[in-house]
Amino acid sequence: MFDFLQLVNNENMKIYRRVRTWIMLGILLVLTLSISLLTYIYSGNISPSMWDLMQIQSVMSIMLVTVFTVVIAAETVAGEFSTGTIKLLMIRPWSRSKILLSKYVSLLLFGLFFMAVIFVWTIVTNMLFFGYDASPIMGSDMSQLTYWLLNYGAEFITMIVIVTLAFLISTVFRSGGLAIGLSLFILLGGSIVTGIIRMLDYAWVDYLLFANLSLSEYILGDASSITGKPLGFTLGVLAGYYVLFIAITWTVFNRRDIAS
Amino acid sequence: MTSSSAPAGAHAALPNQEPVVRMQGVTKRIGKRTIIDNLTLDVPPGEVFGFLGPNGSGKTTTIRMMVGLMKLSQGEILIRNHSISRDYEKAIRHVGAIVENPEMYKYLTGYQNLLHFARMIPGITRQRIDEVVQLVGLNARIHDKVKTYSLGMRQRLGVAQAIMHKPSLLILDEPTNGLDPAGIRELRDYLRLLAIEEGITVFVSSHLLSEMELMCDRVAIIQSGKLIDVRPMRQQQMETDLSKVFFEVDQPQTALEVLEGTGAALEGNHVVFLGNRENIAACNAQLVQAGIKVYGIRQQIKTLEDQFLEVTGGERIV
Ligand SMILES: Nc1ncnc2c1ncn2[C@@H]1O[C@H](COP(=O)(O)OP(=O)(O)OP(=O)(O)O)[C@@H](O)[C@H]1O
Ligand SMILES: [Mg+2]
Repeated sequence: MFDFLQLVNNENMKIYRRVRTWIMLGILLVLTLSISLLTYIYSGNISPSMWDLMQIQSVMSIMLVTVFTVVIAAETVAGEFSTGTIKLLMIRPWSRSKILLSKYVSLLLFGLFFMAVIFVWTIVTNMLFFGYDASPIMGSDMSQLTYWLLNYGAEFITMIVIVTLAFLISTVFRSGGLAIGLSLFILLGGSIVTGIIRMLDYAWVDYLLFANLSLSEYILGDASSITGKPLGFTLGVLAGYYVLFIAITWTVFNRRDIAS
Repeated sequence: MTSSSAPAGAHAALPNQEPVVRMQGVTKRIGKRTIIDNLTLDVPPGEVFGFLGPNGSGKTTTIRMMVGLMKLSQGEILIRNHSISRDYEKAIRHVGAIVENPEMYKYLTGYQNLLHFARMIPGITRQRIDEVVQLVGLNARIHDKVKTYSLGMRQRLGVAQAIMHKPSLLILDEPTNGLDPAGIRELRDYLRLLAIEEGITVFVSSHLLSEMELMCDRVAIIQSGKLIDVRPMRQQQMETDLSKVFFEVDQPQTALEVLEGTGAALEGNHVVFLGNRENIAACNAQLVQAGIKVYGIRQQIKTLEDQFLEVTGGERIV
């Protein structure tokens, strides 16, 4: 087990020793901060609550974290192939499965790390600008903090599914570009496509991945606004896709000849 | 197969004579093409074993199968008696390798690259890393990013990575690629040293035929995926072995007359004949006695290159 952590350690080194990673984090921090700062400067007499900006900042930063994690996912396997380092990586006393797992674990850790940093950063900076506000969210007795914690948690689950898809494409097609393109299309264009297909009113539309990506709706509601299904259904569909993605990724990676 | 009389042949005395690598009927098909065809080969321990073949003959493919990057279509490869297909982790544990170019993580320093691979095998201390860095002569640049390295420096880093865990089998695919003459020489000496002092078996492929001749105890020749020949190198020239001898003299015509009866002939400005060591001495004495100045005597030994071209029929790319 200790040794496996060394593999994860290696993958982490390959992520965090790159300037790129820190530029990503910088962009996130600066962007959310500047929204708070601009609001603070231009709000005049009205004094906004620290929670007022959470919605716009969270949507934006969670989207960015997903994009960045997808970029890392796309790179982690396809990049080793394109640079040829995969050969030196694989000829060690480790099974291919475990090496792949170490990459996957470091990837999820990256997403979790960015999510956590941006969550704390957004709340703390807003609190410093606008003061602490303990009022619960509108139309409920749930505290704002709990709500946003749940929101980030829900979005993290969605992100795992998207990132796992990017990891699959990166592994199967060994193409970072395709991995980024396709998974971001599903993330961004998914809801539009679902909207169009829904007009056809087929039952299978509810089982599409696109249609089951907005988990945060369930924090305050019982049914999805897209499929009208309960939480259990959506989680079930996501779990199904997840298992499928993982199975394909590992099977292909284990079988394939490495001839780059 | 006769045992080689090369320096590393001293290892013939090792108690464990079991081959380090056993390839049995190794075959690789990609699509309909048979790239490696029924290769059967044993690599004896403690030798520098050359793997020679023209471009596209299947050297890299064979090495990829040896280290588990490619699956075998048929046959079996055993490394220290562990099957590379069925018992991968055990088989690969004692292998160090460079497959084609030594591609490293360019955005990491040389040291971080070594640390990366060291973490994957238990028991490699920082001290050992420093030792290896010293050995390949990269001390001055080891903390620079690999993207600033020259090809030769990357090659050295590749070697460092391959020997760091003291493997008992070192597999190198064209390791002299990109090295300068001094680097090639160093590598060659180092490989021989590994074989002699540490008993490491070195399996090395190369295009440079002359290189193989200088560093290998034994050479396997492959062409179009088929094993053509395995022959020991560095055979001592036998007393009775005939070789072509060139005499460089001031009066070739007179010399030819003096040497009448030995089958001597003129080739350019040189007097040439076929003889063994004793013949050479005798002819030289005759020439000197006849007052002919002998500026030089050159013996043409059949090089591996000649042998290679002989067996492969001079065919290069298939
Ligand atoms: N992935 C692949 N798919 C199809 N054919 C391949 C593949 N890899 C190699 N080959 C073919 O297999 C043959 C052997 O290639 P290989 O790279 O093993 O040769 P090599 O002896 O290492 O050559 P070189 O001296 O040029 O490095 C070549 O004809 C090559 O075209
Ligand atoms: Mg090759």
